[in-house]
Amino acid sequence: MIAITIEKLVKKFGDTVALNGISLRIEPGELFFLLGPSGCGKTTLLRNIAGFYIPDEGRILFGDEDVTALPPHKRNTGMMFQSYALWPHMTVAKNVAFGLEERRVPQAEIRQRVQTALESVQMGPYAERKIAQLSGGQQQRVALARALVIRPRCVLLDEPLSNLDARLRLEMRSEIRRVCKENGLTAIYVTHDQKEALSISDRMAVLEGGRIAQIGTPEQVYRRPKTRVVADFIGETNFLNGKIQSLDGAKALVETNEGLFEGFLGDPEWMPSAGDSVLLSIRPESWSLCSAPALMNSVKGRIGESVYLGEVAQYQLQASAHDLKVFELNPHISARAQGQEFFALASVDDVVVLKP
Amino acid sequence: MSRSFSRLVFLVTAIFFVLFFLWPISETLYGAFIGSDGKFTIDYIAEVFRNPLYVEGLWNSLQMGVWSTLLASLIAIPLAWMSDRFFFPGKSLLGALVLVPMIMPPFVGAIGVKQILGQQGALNALLVDIGLLDSTHPIDWLGEGRIWGVIILNALHLYPILYLNVLAALANVDPAMEEAAENLGCTGFRKFCRITLPLIMPGIFAGGTIVFIWSFTELGVPLMFDFTRVTSVQIFYGIKDIGANPFPFALVVVLLCATVLLYAGSKLLFARDSHAMMAKATSQGGPRQAGLAMGLVCSGAFGLVTFLAVLPHIGVILVAFSTDWYQTILPRGWTLSHFEAALGHSLTLPSIQNSLKYAGLATILDLILGVAIAYVVVRTRLAGRQILDAMAMLPLAVPGLVLAFGYLAMTQEGKPFAFLNPTIDPLIILVIAYSVRRLPYVVRSAAAGFQQTSVTLEEAAQNLGCPPLRTLRRITIPLIAANLLAGGLLAFSFAMLEVSDSLILAQKQQDFPITKAIYELYQLLGEGRFVASALGVWAMAFLAVTIIGTSLILGKKLGAIFRA
Repeated sequence: MIAITIEKLVKKFGDTVALNGISLRIEPGELFFLLGPSGCGKTTLLRNIAGFYIPDEGRILFGDEDVTALPPHKRNTGMMFQSYALWPHMTVAKNVAFGLEERRVPQAEIRQRVQTALESVQMGPYAERKIAQLSGGQQQRVALARALVIRPRCVLLDEPLSNLDARLRLEMRSEIRRVCKENGLTAIYVTHDQKEALSISDRMAVLEGGRIAQIGTPEQVYRRPKTRVVADFIGETNFLNGKIQSLDGAKALVETNEGLFEGFLGDPEWMPSAGDSVLLSIRPESWSLCSAPALMNSVKGRIGESVYLGEVAQYQLQASAHDLKVFELNPHISARAQGQEFFALASVDDVVVLKP
Repeated sequence: MSRSFSRLVFLVTAIFFVLFFLWPISETLYGAFIGSDGKFTIDYIAEVFRNPLYVEGLWNSLQMGVWSTLLASLIAIPLAWMSDRFFFPGKSLLGALVLVPMIMPPFVGAIGVKQILGQQGALNALLVDIGLLDSTHPIDWLGEGRIWGVIILNALHLYPILYLNVLAALANVDPAMEEAAENLGCTGFRKFCRITLPLIMPGIFAGGTIVFIWSFTELGVPLMFDFTRVTSVQIFYGIKDIGANPFPFALVVVLLCATVLLYAGSKLLFARDSHAMMAKATSQGGPRQAGLAMGLVCSGAFGLVTFLAVLPHIGVILVAFSTDWYQTILPRGWTLSHFEAALGHSLTLPSIQNSLKYAGLATILDLILGVAIAYVVVRTRLAGRQILDAMAMLPLAVPGLVLAFGYLAMTQEGKPFAFLNPTIDPLIILVIAYSVRRLPYVVRSAAAGFQQTSVTLEEAAQNLGCPPLRTLRRITIPLIAANLLAGGLLAFSFAMLEVSDSLILAQKQQDFPITKAIYELYQLLGEGRFVASALGVWAMAFLAVTIIGTSLILGKKLGAIFRA
């Protein structure tokens, strides 16, 4: 179990700056996610950690050891590739044994460890199969076993579930968390699927244009996004434009053309002043629909389109200047007829004030 | 792989090319443009165009190139079209067999052609037999200058190159383009001429250029026909006094300029104008089942072409087994004595040994260089890798005769490479000559292998602790083994039957490879052609065993090897 420290990493490809001064620390045994839209630099960062790219500036530390200039084969990381990269000319067992052979582990021990690794991903009976004879989910398990059997210093996962169907994805993501936690592994997981990140990560970093937009636990990132991009990328949200009326520590009073709102600043280091333009982010599920207005944090509107999904209903609420998304749990959709007027209320805790 | 290693590979291959490709050419240029007084002169080149003998040679070479290419296109384009459009009975077998003539030695086939088409040959005998010809006035099929024999043999030898190119070009044509033409009322042959043919022109030109360069400078076949009024043979005879005579140099330079201009011209022409690759295919094309009539036509065409192409070699086999063959359709009697004579001749066994040694070493050198170059070109972002790629393809544009001559020129006494002079020991210079000319095939097939193999397969191995070079050995090479085998096999086969380097560079009897031994045996009076044919049959049998054996090991059909 080691910590991974990344210091002011810069990586350029020609004129494009793929990573622009990334610094972060991943704690020992942590399941850490790198998240962001495509082109944000998350895979580039992972490949720097694996050693396939050498950064132009900055350092990468495994524990106290500086590995920045170390070639990939000396880093002892276990990587799982998006395409799995299983070798078609070898059997399942040979694929898994490869890393141990490179480490000159005695034959008897290799056999035993390969078998254990395959069993731990429920692939024990498939040891002598050819890779082409496996389904996508089975290949994924073999790739995981191959990365873990060498007892790496850390596991690197590059969108490992993106080639699987939805059901298998659900099953495998908890499987990956279980295996990482059971072995006490430091793991870095790259994905663009926010559900994967929210459901199994200890902490995550959201990347945006080669920089880190936010680091935090799933709840911190979801409930207190620091930037507009983070709020937009993780989950769904409603944006309202407004101007700051007054400030009270991290709390701000914001005037919008739907009414007055009180909320918390998303970025605690941000120091706006009264009169500044801001953006409010309010999640669809934090609204509650009432028939009476409140002093603050309420929007008047008419029900537009609605989608009934059983456990939840999604309404479009047509307010004076915005169309809002409103989710209602355990809904009574017959009581929310199209055209009917309602007030949507959000609690202070659910209103996030962002830079526009 | 680490940058420094890639740079090293780049440097080593680049130095190899400078020394054994650019240097011999520049030595030739030096000989052609620098007079005995050490000053620059164009007198020698001018004299080439003033001397009627040389002009006639050039004119004949040009005819040889143009007619061979046209004839090969006439054979290859219809075949490729049929193969692209239809399934027909026996397609996979016929499609493989139709490629076989490419590795049959045309220069050995010449013996067979003379036997069949000669004035006292089998065809005239057949016509006399069925009463169409008066035996006292035989038809001279080959023409007085024998140029038609050369052209027919070249075309029958080289059409597979065009066939493969055209087939690839046809596969690239978006079927929607033709459907659009049909939709607008243009069908059949008209559609082929107005839409399909223009679209596959780059492919036809790419193949046609290689065929032209090859036949324009062919040495072995005209030599076997005693057709001496052609530039390649004039150069060959001029080599005897290479130290004193500047005209072989000048002739080589003229050939070189013509081929390089043609090669560069066709590259430029189609680099600007690559419309065939503009769009990805939008609809599934693929061949369809041919009707009964069309199926028979297709199968018949493939069978007939293959038969005609191997007919010269069948002739050779018959000659090898015959006691006498003169003015008859088939030989008058059969014997095995020529094979004994061939094996018993002091030239034979050493020549087989030599050929195996030269071709084997050249293939190994090709594989090492080819994998290295393909790796740098496909897998690294090293500046200048495109130059390396272009360099590795250049031997296709430079005739073997020119390079062979250049090697001879650069190893003359007093030159820096005199220690490699072939009159001392031709081993090194022959191996290099063989390998440089075949390098493009190996580089191409290795590069295709690298392109088909995802780089993450290599990264996964490095991630698990495998250093780059061992990754190449444990992961990459096994994955591209089929490609390497195909490329290596092609290189080996061509090297075994190489003519111009062998005739020019092997100068002592004990150093002769098979081809030069066949040529020397053929010169013997009396039994000559029978014994030469017998050795030719040995060589062909040997080659067939190699290729069939490899295709069995590969578990693939013969054709797949040559398409890689």
